Amino acid sequence: MTPGGNKRRLLRGSLRTVAALYLVGLWLDAVGCSTPSRLLPHALDYFMEVAALFPEAASGAIDYRAEGWVCADARWQELDTRPYFPLDPDDKENRFQRALNFYRDDPAVERALDAYLVERHNAGRADDGVPRGIPIGGLRFVRVKIPIPPAGSRLERFTRRPLADLPANEKEILYRTSKTRIAERCGPRDPATVEPE
Amino acid sequence: MTWHPLRRIVAWLDEPQPVLRLEIVRIFAPLAVLGFMSGRLVHADEWLGDAGFRVPDLGGDIRQPLYIPALPAGAAWAVVTVMVVSGLLCSMGVRARASAVVFAATLAFVGLSDRLAAFTVSKISPVIMLAVALGPAGSMLGVDAWLRRRRGEPLPPAVQSLGSVRFLQLMLVTFYCASGLAKAGGDWLVVPRVLWTHVHDSYQTPISFFLASTLPAWSWTPMQASVLAFEALAPLWFGLRWTRPYALLFGLGMHLMIGVMFGPVVWFALLMMTLLLGCFLPESWLARIARITAS
Repeated sequence: MTPGGNKRRLLRGSLRTVAALYLVGLWLDAVGCSTPSRLLPHALDYFMEVAALFPEAASGAIDYRAEGWVCADARWQELDTRPYFPLDPDDKENRFQRALNFYRDDPAVERALDAYLVERHNAGRADDGVPRGIPIGGLRFVRVKIPIPPAGSRLERFTRRPLADLPANEKEILYRTSKTRIAERCGPRDPATVEPE
Repeated sequence: MTWHPLRRIVAWLDEPQPVLRLEIVRIFAPLAVLGFMSGRLVHADEWLGDAGFRVPDLGGDIRQPLYIPALPAGAAWAVVTVMVVSGLLCSMGVRARASAVVFAATLAFVGLSDRLAAFTVSKISPVIMLAVALGPAGSMLGVDAWLRRRRGEPLPPAVQSLGSVRFLQLMLVTFYCASGLAKAGGDWLVVPRVLWTHVHDSYQTPISFFLASTLPAWSWTPMQASVLAFEALAPLWFGLRWTRPYALLFGLGMHLMIGVMFGPVVWFALLMMTLLLGCFLPESWLARIARITAS
């Protein structure tokens, strides 16, 4: 065997080993084994988390929404987040939807979303349902869960209905800006007008 | 005797394969991936740059594989330009292997940079493009192959040992099997209408709405069972020579239905159909395509 031939064999063997490890990692991850995620750096394991697609039944049609605290009126009003998250605006691949899907229990991400949306709205760059020039001082993130109809029943096409039109039992508040923070942003107005935490 | 199975595996890996298999993946996979990325590409500054929302550094949180700060807008546009150009060059067969490496690198970067816009396509496409780069991509079809032919240079053999193709075949089968087992471990064996529950949200298309409105309620259960059987037993269906063409047909049909029933998932469906065709088209079909392209 020539030195060049040896090198080729070694390279081929290494590539085959890496390929085999990737396939084993992909398989283990999907079947719920945590070994790859414990052994590998997150950035590598991430590329193996691909195959566990739709393993569970959907418990409802989920949609995440936002409401802004309108300082002048001391009330919550639905804020359309789509102008500030323009990628895939109309489906659940939208980045706002994904942010709350992944990080809805993470205060750091929720606060970052809050700051981002308040800044964007108050900069008056887009039509978002709250008139431009009317500042907001805080955010409420709402998880909408529309029940799945029984199979065979009469269906309605999925549409994005305003929050105000949805029954209370289909809405869950995930996050709201603290009263203190709203008071800071809205100015000297009495923060007691903000609904209780 | 102990090593006999290993020798058989190595012999199977080294078995000559039509280069056309790899060329099918090389031509169509970048197009499906770029189609998936198209909605993101036009908002590069929002997606990768500092013009849009960024998840803050969560300091090693498992839900954030790697924190990459927002790029300046110019750099974000540069990344997507390199991605589009390298993807198109790879598909056209211009410096295909080098283009595939660059394309894979940009895909890996954007997949890690923004998890919010990353999906299965984002995660498997760098691996697919690396596999393409490691084989004789662009040697048979495409601009470079055409130029070589015009110069009168000999073309490499149309059938040769192709580790890349073997890898893609194994990847596809492993993917399906793992996906099927994940479903079996989830609700698919206990809830009779899992498929039904997934056609009511923002992925809904006119076709999925039409099917949900017209198909009898019982029909969702056999559809669910056939998908589960296809996926979980994929090594069997694709491993046996006589079931392979039927598995290919079923896989193509399944992805066609996924593509038309779940709006944005169409690009994933097209990528998987490309892999299915490249990996498992019968050799007689490949020979026919090779004759057509040669003429």
